[in-house]
Amino acid sequence: MLLDAATLSRIAGLKLRARAVVEGVLSGQHKSPHQGQSVEFAEHKEYAPGDELRHLDWKAFGKFDKYYVKRFEHETNLRAVMVVDTSGSMGFGTTGLSKLDVARVMAATLSHLLVRQQDAAGVALVAAGRFAEVPPRSAATHLQVVLGALETATAQGPTDLASAADTLAEKLPRRSLVCVFSDFFDEKQDALKRVLALRSRKHDVALFHLLDPAELLFPFEDPTLFVSMEDARQVEVNPREIRESYLEEFGRFLANTKDACRAADCDYELVRTDEPIDQALLRFLARRGGRL
Amino acid sequence: MTFGQPWFLAGTLAALIPLLVHLFDRRRPRQVPFAALDFVLRSQKRTASRLRLKRLLLYLLRTLLLLAVPLALSRPSFSTSDLASSRRGLAATAVVLDTSLSLRWSDGTRLFDVAKDEAKTALRELSQEEPATVVVCTRAPVAAAPLGFERTRLLAALDDAAPGFEAIDLNQCLELAARSLDDSPLPNRRLVLVSALAQGSLRLEAPPPLGAGQKGEKLKPEVVVRDVARGKKELPNRALIDVRAEAAPQLGPRAWQFTFTVRNFAATAARDVELRLEVDGEVVQKGFVDVSADGTTQKTLSWRFAKGGVATVTGRLETDALTDDDALSVVLSVPRELTALVVNGSPSPQKYKDEAFFTEAALSATGSPVRAVLRDADAAWHEKLSDYDVVLLLNVEAPPPEMARALETFVLEGGGLFISVGDRVDPEAWNASMGRVLPRKLRVVKTAVEPNAPDAATRAARLTQAALNHPVMLPFTGRAREGLLSTRFYRYALFEGDAQGVETEVLGTMDDGAPVFLASRRGKGRLFVFASTVDRDWSDLPIRTSFLPLMQRVAGWLTGTLDEREEVRAKVGSTVSLTPENGQSPAWARAASGAEVALTTQPGGAVTGGPMPEPGPWVVVDAKGAVLERLGFAVAIDPGASNLSRHSLDALGEWLGEESVRTAGSGGGESSTPLWTWLITIAVLAFFFEGMLLRK
Repeated sequence: MLLDAATLSRIAGLKLRARAVVEGVLSGQHKSPHQGQSVEFAEHKEYAPGDELRHLDWKAFGKFDKYYVKRFEHETNLRAVMVVDTSGSMGFGTTGLSKLDVARVMAATLSHLLVRQQDAAGVALVAAGRFAEVPPRSAATHLQVVLGALETATAQGPTDLASAADTLAEKLPRRSLVCVFSDFFDEKQDALKRVLALRSRKHDVALFHLLDPAELLFPFEDPTLFVSMEDARQVEVNPREIRESYLEEFGRFLANTKDACRAADCDYELVRTDEPIDQALLRFLARRGGRL
Repeated sequence: MTFGQPWFLAGTLAALIPLLVHLFDRRRPRQVPFAALDFVLRSQKRTASRLRLKRLLLYLLRTLLLLAVPLALSRPSFSTSDLASSRRGLAATAVVLDTSLSLRWSDGTRLFDVAKDEAKTALRELSQEEPATVVVCTRAPVAAAPLGFERTRLLAALDDAAPGFEAIDLNQCLELAARSLDDSPLPNRRLVLVSALAQGSLRLEAPPPLGAGQKGEKLKPEVVVRDVARGKKELPNRALIDVRAEAAPQLGPRAWQFTFTVRNFAATAARDVELRLEVDGEVVQKGFVDVSADGTTQKTLSWRFAKGGVATVTGRLETDALTDDDALSVVLSVPRELTALVVNGSPSPQKYKDEAFFTEAALSATGSPVRAVLRDADAAWHEKLSDYDVVLLLNVEAPPPEMARALETFVLEGGGLFISVGDRVDPEAWNASMGRVLPRKLRVVKTAVEPNAPDAATRAARLTQAALNHPVMLPFTGRAREGLLSTRFYRYALFEGDAQGVETEVLGTMDDGAPVFLASRRGKGRLFVFASTVDRDWSDLPIRTSFLPLMQRVAGWLTGTLDEREEVRAKVGSTVSLTPENGQSPAWARAASGAEVALTTQPGGAVTGGPMPEPGPWVVVDAKGAVLERLGFAVAIDPGASNLSRHSLDALGEWLGEESVRTAGSGGGESSTPLWTWLITIAVLAFFFEGMLLRK
């Protein structure tokens, strides 16, 4: 079961709001780039030729003896795509849950939240040479389709987030919320850059960086043969001898990822697989709720 | 290079362990699928060169550690290997091995073990063309074998050598060694002195050793000094050099106090040094002493013995580098309990007028070894005298003839008899009855002044002389003597001269020359006569502080307990002389270590044996092996031998002549630091750095 009743109950009072302006086909609670089609008053604007006369504020004319036009904000529904990295490295886990397990639960929970608030949720399972997509829909029955797709996801093959980002850029014609669940262990140097490039296409991008405590702390002691989970590489090392260097390298990787997200104005959430899933979601939802 | 414990060299094979582990360690590492492999690879690449260097250093340090430890345990030392080809060419060589007490000094390794190794090394370094001999320098040194080329007997003699407990005469040994080379056809002579160079064993004021050539000319041998103390400035040592054992009646019956003298032969003061008192091997008291640098101090410990008899008391200092002089024993005889028959010649219902009141009180005081039994004269004559050690006749009328005979027999067979006079003593009757017993016959009673006269205090007779060297009088020194001499005598008996064949000691005389205290021996027994009363009728002695110790000492002397056993103490190397009792036939003296010395009976009946080879308590046994307890004695190390002050090599060079003395082996100037200490230092450093590398 991807949906955990306890987790759902904890986030029940929250709503996922788009942090950026998104486009939808339905009216909803998120800002739309189109104005004038809503009943939500936004501001006054001095009349200029060409403005709709029906929006003239006569009361303001009476007070200031000038013509002002009322402007309204349009609210629309949200389209969100849960991009789940299904490369081999996502299958790693030392706490009983693999990173993919955590990603699936988080994606499913967010999808449930979106559908419940009348927004459209879809999912894309990506890895090198694979791109399985369930397009965003807001129908309640669509949630089962999303969950079904997540259920079938398995971790295998190399990571290729760059190609996935390119494909998404093509397939998402309108402004959408893109939630990426990945460890971002991608050999391609520009993979993260291309994921974040979605932001430049006016998409709202949120990165969930999923990491196992063993990757963060490198707690190995005895000489160990480390085997790659995405290809045939392997290396024998004495962990105690390289721990310091590893932690230094990994720390730099985390800092770079976080800095890149901040620079691209994207949300970044580091998720440890040994922490309760709802905590990471609550942090994310609260932050977004606080900004809106 | 030589090795003191060469079998430890096998341990150096352990140095191969790191290499073997590296070559044959085929442990399969645990296989772990890991997502962040890129980071592992990057880290490994970054640290590879540093890790290679670290592993190499670890390998080297571990190998060094495993090599240094067994090498250090094998006690390597550099020694000059050119003895054989000394600067004068081939030489006849005599190795002189010091066995004095100084060689027992140990700072982990006993100097004598070092000395034996040095002597063997000196022999091994000789070439086959050089004749050699060995002189093991003991009290009576002899060459181990005639000068020759065969080394086996010489090495065996070195193996058999053992260190002694006294200073020895190294000058004599060097002289003997130099003479043993006289027969050599080689023109060069060499003496190898293996010694700790203690000043007590080598006198530099004596002439240096000289040999004689084949034509009788004097030859000065080359002297090679192997200093086993490795150039140390001093061999610090503490020693117990004396013990004085004294009865301490103030502490109770059979209480003794032992005053130990501790000497510090070191340039630094010793603080809180523990001194233990052992009685028959059991620690009964402890104390602590501070001894200044090169100083002496005394410490008194006391002990109350549960019973009389012979006891071995040992003082034992906290051990130092020379343990043998840290203990000093004394074998003493603790007085047994005495039974005294006090015959009261003038009983009175009023205690202070009773003749025996003061005497009984004195004998029964705390700490007194005497158990007094009080009888009046009539009852006393029915007592069996052999049940008593001493009989005190206090102002008793002349005993009946049969009793006089019994008293005479009692004294002749070893009993003690005390007689004090008084108004019941009729001189004529006493002379008639006890004339054979009394040391001097009674003459008359002299009255110096009537006791009740108003000026009695000033006109009373007083003692003018006291034989303070007599065992009875020994406590009366200083103020105690003044107290005794100020005793007032109102009346006292006068005596005739000594009876024929009887020697009487006068222990105190009046200002008119009349004797007051008379001591005499008859047969095996003793007599003591007091010329006045032991109550206050004729004298005020009973109420003086002198009275109590005087009466107790008299009782002790009469029964022989004051000088019951002559304490025998001998020094190591000296002869011991014992006085056996009748019927005893001592044959051997035996030490706790099992060492035995035969005893020889001398014409006067005394038994002698020696020289005594080792310190400590010794027991004496007869031919049947029965222990003669009362003849036990203690042997001590001569305090002079405990002084381990050393000659400097410069002083030795001056004595022997600069051109003939050389130093070699562990005592050779700059090479005085042993190699093993460096190896241990290297091992410790290797261990430390290995740990540092592992932690990094």
